[in-house]
Amino acid sequence: DAAAILPAPLDLSVHSINMKHILTWSPVIVPGKIVNYSVEYQGEYERYYTSSTWIPSSWCSSISTPECNVTDDITATVAYNFRVRATLGNQSSAWSTLKELFNRNSTILTSPRMKMSKDGYHLIVEFEDLGPYFEFNVTYWRKSPNSQVLYKIVREGGSLVHLETMEAGAEYCVKAQTIVEVIERSSAFNQVECVIAQDESPLL
Amino acid sequence: GLKRLHLGNCVLSMNYQEMRNEFLEIKGYVQAEDGNLDKRILKSSEALQDTKPTERCCFFRHLLRFYLDRVFKNYQTTNHHIRRKVSSLANSFLGIKKELRLCHDHMICHCGEEAKKKYTQILSHFEELDAQTAVVKALGELDILLRWIEKT
Repeated sequence: DAAAILPAPLDLSVHSINMKHILTWSPVIVPGKIVNYSVEYQGEYERYYTSSTWIPSSWCSSISTPECNVTDDITATVAYNFRVRATLGNQSSAWSTLKELFNRNSTILTSPRMKMSKDGYHLIVEFEDLGPYFEFNVTYWRKSPNSQVLYKIVREGGSLVHLETMEAGAEYCVKAQTIVEVIERSSAFNQVECVIAQDESPLL
Repeated sequence: GLKRLHLGNCVLSMNYQEMRNEFLEIKGYVQAEDGNLDKRILKSSEALQDTKPTERCCFFRHLLRFYLDRVFKNYQTTNHHIRRKVSSLANSFLGIKKELRLCHDHMICHCGEEAKKKYTQILSHFEELDAQTAVVKALGELDILLRWIEKT
């Protein structure tokens, strides 16, 4: 049987960081030949309601690299399964599936990269753009006795945000974490960063 | 982001915006398939937000089960993009239904006459139509259900 000649891909697993989900597997090696792969997925719904049907992945219907960005396929917070098979000419291998189902609520959330800047006495912050699921919980304070800690939710990354109008010569500190509401989780806080406002400019 | 849905004593959070975006991607296609525009399955007389708060949870559970068992399952398309979006909606509905189960387990999802009557009405509107027409219309009417959810 031709299908049995081509070995099935092995070691399927999903690597997920900041809601970007990459499916990888061990390549099928046929010396001198280019092996292609097809990826399909099913959510919990397909397993329980439609007798385990499978859906072709958005981006990986005949690819030659042993990895697939499945971020666009996983759009609900339920357990997903993936299967991959190899094809070479008219030969196709058996399907391989994940050893463990994948739920996006297990994604690794890194603490956000943050750029702080001053525009005169204005304290400005900018976060990396991590995509539509991400908000940023910003905590900031003036470094002085009994100063108040302030909070601000930044709804998206990739744009400058005014945090505070600083007092001359004062030091201000900031830290932040990401929030991903659809999975009801947040990242660790990043490193605290501080800046000192410029001194009062002398009267001319 | 997340929407807090208040169903009497049962409060749950759902990825409303994400579901809305997924539906908007298929709305034109699915509603164009519906050739029976003078009929409605989800009528305003059965709106979720106008249901007695104590019975909203039960009524909503019925609606979720209706879509999971009768609509998503039977919607047929050869269009892979549409199929993926329907799968995404179905899996989101399933996630919500699992969350609603907690309210049911904590006895705050009471089923009374109003919930039963409204759901029976919806089922009869659905069953007046032939099978595939009904499924297509119900899927296109997710628009209405999402608006009910938004107002609840």
